[in-house]
Amino acid sequence: MFNPAAHDAVRPAFQNGLPDDTPAMPDASRDGGAKVAVTAELLSTWLGFADVQRRTLDIVQSELTRTSDHVETSTLDLSERFRELAEKALEQSERVAQIVAMAGTVDLDGERVPLDTLVVGMQDVITDMVTNIVSLSRHAMTMVYLLDDVQKDVAELEKSIGDIDGINRQTNFLALNATIEASRAGEAGRTFAVVAQEVRHLSRSTGELAERMRSKVTAVVKGVRNGHEILRQIADTDMSPQMLAKERVDKTMDSLVAQTTHFQTVLRTAATVSSDMSSTIAHVITGMQFQDLTKQRIEAINDSLAIMSAGLGELEARIRAQVPPGIGAREPQEWLNQLMGRFTLSEMRERFVRRLLLEGTALDENGVLDLDVAGGSGAGGDIELF
Amino acid sequence: MDYGIELRDQEAVVRLRGRLTFNDHAKLRTLIGEMGQNKLRRQVLDLSSLEFVDSAGIGMLLIAREEMDRAGKQFVLRSAAGQVKRVLTVAQIAKIVPIED
Repeated sequence: MFNPAAHDAVRPAFQNGLPDDTPAMPDASRDGGAKVAVTAELLSTWLGFADVQRRTLDIVQSELTRTSDHVETSTLDLSERFRELAEKALEQSERVAQIVAMAGTVDLDGERVPLDTLVVGMQDVITDMVTNIVSLSRHAMTMVYLLDDVQKDVAELEKSIGDIDGINRQTNFLALNATIEASRAGEAGRTFAVVAQEVRHLSRSTGELAERMRSKVTAVVKGVRNGHEILRQIADTDMSPQMLAKERVDKTMDSLVAQTTHFQTVLRTAATVSSDMSSTIAHVITGMQFQDLTKQRIEAINDSLAIMSAGLGELEARIRAQVPPGIGAREPQEWLNQLMGRFTLSEMRERFVRRLLLEGTALDENGVLDLDVAGGSGAGGDIELF
Repeated sequence: MDYGIELRDQEAVVRLRGRLTFNDHAKLRTLIGEMGQNKLRRQVLDLSSLEFVDSAGIGMLLIAREEMDRAGKQFVLRSAAGQVKRVLTVAQIAKIVPIED
């Protein structure tokens, strides 16, 4: 009737409780209806054992049910939490994947441009800029040289105008002399005096023209000198630091691309890890289904225990009916002690004590055995677990 | 900036010293004239002793190349270092003028 292991566990107490003078029952084995002599002490001991056994079986059943329920609730709770965790890991993996997709590109006027394309484009722009600086410098220097030449030419021009003035002064002087000589010649020189007069007029006109040219040339010289000065300032503005800035920009761009590539690699790994986590958690949830099987096993065990308990109860009732009223059940104190020693969990021990020792007493009637009351100290038991 | 010209068998080597800036434009024009006048076909500008060049200096080097081209001579830049080498590289002068180490 008993599980051999359980039987072994209680054997020492049982053996101690049994009287040594157990009578042999050769007749009974042959004939079930025959009467045999049994000591009142043995009967009393058996009744005590039967009572404790039945109650213990009840307790074991209810503990098994309680354990099964506990495992079920905890497993469901754990499964739910793991499911949430798996969902979050999946969300995380998607979010990281989005970042990976975005990290390598830049939004430009609503268009996603790959970073390396952008960098190459910017480097091209800077290269063009430097090329333009070089070209401008060359043109500016060419202009400087041209204006150097123009300044020399204009100085020549100024000198030429001065020369014209000199020639004109001489012409004027000659014309004056001619007029004097003509007047000395009297009537014969009259015609010559007219020519000399015309030459003087011509000289004056030439002098006026030279003057106008001088004023224009002076304006041109002024303009050219101004232009030359402005051009000098432009050409003297050193753009080499701006050209060399390209080196730093190139380095910065390369570093930016390298860093982004590194981030992408790290993020890609993170996305894979999140995804792996999610699938591992899914496996864990599948693994939690052991609880279903456990529950079925415990139910089967409980069913067997119920049958055993019922059988024992029935046998106990039959025997009690045949036992004289004077013989009562003797409480198997040592066995009880052994049993109590097994329940180290205080909450469980409490329930055991209530059911085994107080059931059917006045305390029981006052509701002390109420399972809810017993369950109230469950928290204490849980704390003890940790 | 100052310079010295050394006429060798195959080439005229002009060694530039100091800093080549806008202020040297008259001096450089004289130098271009001297390079055009010597008989050698290959005119080499040795830049190993040149410490600094500004953007106007780069413009003048390109004008020198144009003038040598016009005179049917080969113009080469040699042994640039430091800032000069960096500026020549960034400006991609090697695309226009041969550069030797």
